[in-house]
Amino acid sequence: MTDNAYDIDIWGLLVALAMVAIAAGISELMRINIGKTLLWSACRALLQLCAMGFIIGYVIRANNVFLVFAVIAVMLVAAVQITLSRAKGVPKGLAGPVLLSLTITMLLMISLVTELVVRPHPWYAPQLVVPLTGMLLGNTVSALAVGLSRFYESMNERRDEIDTLLALGSTAWEAARPSIVSSIRLGLLPTTATLASCGIVTIPGMMAGQVIAGGDPLEAAKYQFVVFAAIAALTLVADSLIMAMVYRTCFTADDQYKPPEMR
Amino acid sequence: MSSTESVFTANGVTCIVPAQGKSRTIFDNLAFAIAPGEIVDLVGPSGSGKSSLLTAFARLNPHATGTFALHGHDSSEFTPQQWRHEVAYLPQKPILPGETVAEAIRLPFTLAIRAGADAIGNQNADSATAAANATTNAAAAASLAASSATSISTPHTAPASASAPHRIGKVGLGRKFMALFHNNDQQARKLLTDQKIRMTLDAMGCEDIDLARPPHDLSGGQAARVSLARTLLTEPKVLLADEVDAGLDDENAEKVADIMATAAAQGMAIIRIRHRPPDGRASRIMTLANGILSEQAGEQA
Repeated sequence: MTDNAYDIDIWGLLVALAMVAIAAGISELMRINIGKTLLWSACRALLQLCAMGFIIGYVIRANNVFLVFAVIAVMLVAAVQITLSRAKGVPKGLAGPVLLSLTITMLLMISLVTELVVRPHPWYAPQLVVPLTGMLLGNTVSALAVGLSRFYESMNERRDEIDTLLALGSTAWEAARPSIVSSIRLGLLPTTATLASCGIVTIPGMMAGQVIAGGDPLEAAKYQFVVFAAIAALTLVADSLIMAMVYRTCFTADDQYKPPEMR
Repeated sequence: MSSTESVFTANGVTCIVPAQGKSRTIFDNLAFAIAPGEIVDLVGPSGSGKSSLLTAFARLNPHATGTFALHGHDSSEFTPQQWRHEVAYLPQKPILPGETVAEAIRLPFTLAIRAGADAIGNQNADSATAAANATTNAAAAASLAASSATSISTPHTAPASASAPHRIGKVGLGRKFMALFHNNDQQARKLLTDQKIRMTLDAMGCEDIDLARPPHDLSGGQAARVSLARTLLTEPKVLLADEVDAGLDDENAEKVADIMATAAAQGMAIIRIRHRPPDGRASRIMTLANGILSEQAGEQA
């Protein structure tokens, strides 16, 4: 921490929790019935973030390459689990493709952003690699979950169109293409919206954090841009990879449409 | 009927549909053959599996198995796309994607099986070959439209494509990647121009259909005829028409039947699923009921 950073003490955390508790109480009074979930989620978030803070702190201090990649591996596995639990109406057995697409994207990010743009010493600098991976995974997980849900929904909706296309001699890829395009587009929507609105409407979380912690705002802006650009590009890569790997699950080996109950 | 005079033969066609944990046999070990230019009507109670039989013939039915052959060539010699190029299933519901009727009719020509393989090949080839290819395509398209539009009385000569089923290989990953960015619309417009579509539609008695209109605005009868015209323009050897005249008034049903009869006169083998009373155009009427396919007393046109 730099000299001009403002630390948060235990009372600060309690005030934040109290705010959530009051909001939850009001929502109960208004019979919105979201209070319990809100309070529970807030407590969970506090615990998870503190745990993450401890772990990252430990990893930074240990400064061990194997430890860094062990943490990333755990994050990847958790990301796969969250993606699959959020994606609706997808067939079983997608864990492999999701893990593969997340891993490739993550490796691309580490090699490009970390080693080409930032060039830290040592090359696996935990204080850089772990948070970057976290931000990237956070984005790709939601993009993949939205993209996968949309893809299978679209393939079910377009059943008659797909049968017509196949009957006219289309390949499975050609028949699936409109669904692939629309699902990638939908998965990328939040990313492009963030890119367009950041700096005008919002100060992105990472930049805000750096500024609050006493960093130079311009330096923070540069970091934020590199991270956003990488996330936008790699989210597209992750989404395209997963679509290329899973579209075949909607077809038989003979390029016939496979209805949802057969997948 | 021996396989030499048949354009299409099917043997041992079985369809087993999974239903509530158990499996239900729709039909078992059916055999069928059809000669060029023949129109066969397929009738039977609803749920007897008529559509399943036709989709099985087009290799579109994931629940069906069987041995199929085209001009004596087993279906395993074809990729699914090549097979469906020759044995075309026409669904009951006309699905016409696209901004305009012309675009909807051109759809089959935007697919790799007709346009994409050439279009992508052209990019890799030197410009001279590309130009030559384009000319050949244009010539092929011209003769295609001419045969559909004008030479209604001349017998249809079977193209040599069935003897060379491996012309177009399976689309590889690289090509798929290219195809994601490649727009075949231009190519399709060359293969099938608006004028050619117009001529063909007019020759089919579809003067009432405006090519620039959105397909959504078409009446049921018009949509059925556009859907039929789209498949006929791809010149399949076997047309599997699944109750194309269902829901049409008598006048439109008559028009649709006329269009198919003209195509049959040029050598296309046509199987029609029908619920209407016989219209005198079929050379045979087959009944599918309780899993058994039987021929009714012949009704000669």
